[in-house]
Amino acid sequence: MLTQFEHFAVTEMLGQPDSPPRANGTLCFGSEWERTSFGIALALAKEGYFEWDDFRDELIASIRRWEDEHPADYSSWNYYDQFLTALESAVVKTNLLTASELREFFTLGDQVNQ
Amino acid sequence: MSERFKYRDDREAYSAARVRALEALLIKKGIITDRTVNTVLEFFETKMGPFNGAKIVARAWVDPTFKERLVADTPKAIAELDLPDGMAGAEGEHMRAVANAPGVHNLIICTLCSCYPWPVLGLPPYWYKDPTFRSRAAREPRAVLAEFGLPISEDVEVKVWDSSAQIRWFVVPERPSGTEGLSETELEALVTPEAMMGVAVAKAA
Repeated sequence: MLTQFEHFAVTEMLGQPDSPPRANGTLCFGSEWERTSFGIALALAKEGYFEWDDFRDELIASIRRWEDEHPADYSSWNYYDQFLTALESAVVKTNLLTASELREFFTLGDQVNQ
Repeated sequence: MSERFKYRDDREAYSAARVRALEALLIKKGIITDRTVNTVLEFFETKMGPFNGAKIVARAWVDPTFKERLVADTPKAIAELDLPDGMAGAEGEHMRAVANAPGVHNLIICTLCSCYPWPVLGLPPYWYKDPTFRSRAAREPRAVLAEFGLPISEDVEVKVWDSSAQIRWFVVPERPSGTEGLSETELEALVTPEAMMGVAVAKAA
């Protein structure tokens, strides 16, 4: 039975601590950057730059850290904040990018020309 | 990098800027292209998801003979429609449709595993894998449906279909009244994943 990577990757998360937000049968993104984060992580794992399970370990650890730091008040919770943190960590750990490169390219407010 | 941004009021803008930096660098290095994100997400947004189930159900509403074929041989009937490749593969090949009718309401559950007809229903909701939902829906479906806001009258039979690795069920809800003038495309918009699971009914907009 052929299963697409995209299907496998998301199915693995369901019912787990890193289960992504969803509504009406589809992934639920609050903004374009959340959608882009998800797409980049999935694409990099699909192409074999890192293992999806390794990325998920980062994500689960990031979620746990946030929960430990916010034991009572979940009002500032955003799944994709943790997702993005895990993704940055994964690209640096696998030497795809360096932290200083990321800082260098970071420009608040300005659209980066692609 | 994230620690610096934790308590900022403009956290949205910061997160967006972080992702822009990440994507731009990955593109610059030739690791991804500017089409990568859209390509990978197409799977969820246009290929496999509840929009396929909605097309199947809307066709069944406008064409009673299709509905008969759909219930008799689900994969063969689905193959008649112009749906994305792969619909008949993966989990699609084991799909079986059950149709609601006056006097019969169908509910799909999965007591043993996480079997779910992905290609037509999309991602399952949170509660679908909840052991309490699974066991209660099998034992007392009327009580569970009432809690979903769907009380079923006593003269209507409730049938519960337990998906397995072999067969994955989905429900063809009844066409809502007052939709006689709608086109097939307009009808598709009325079909929700919940209605195709049997925890809701389709409603006119």
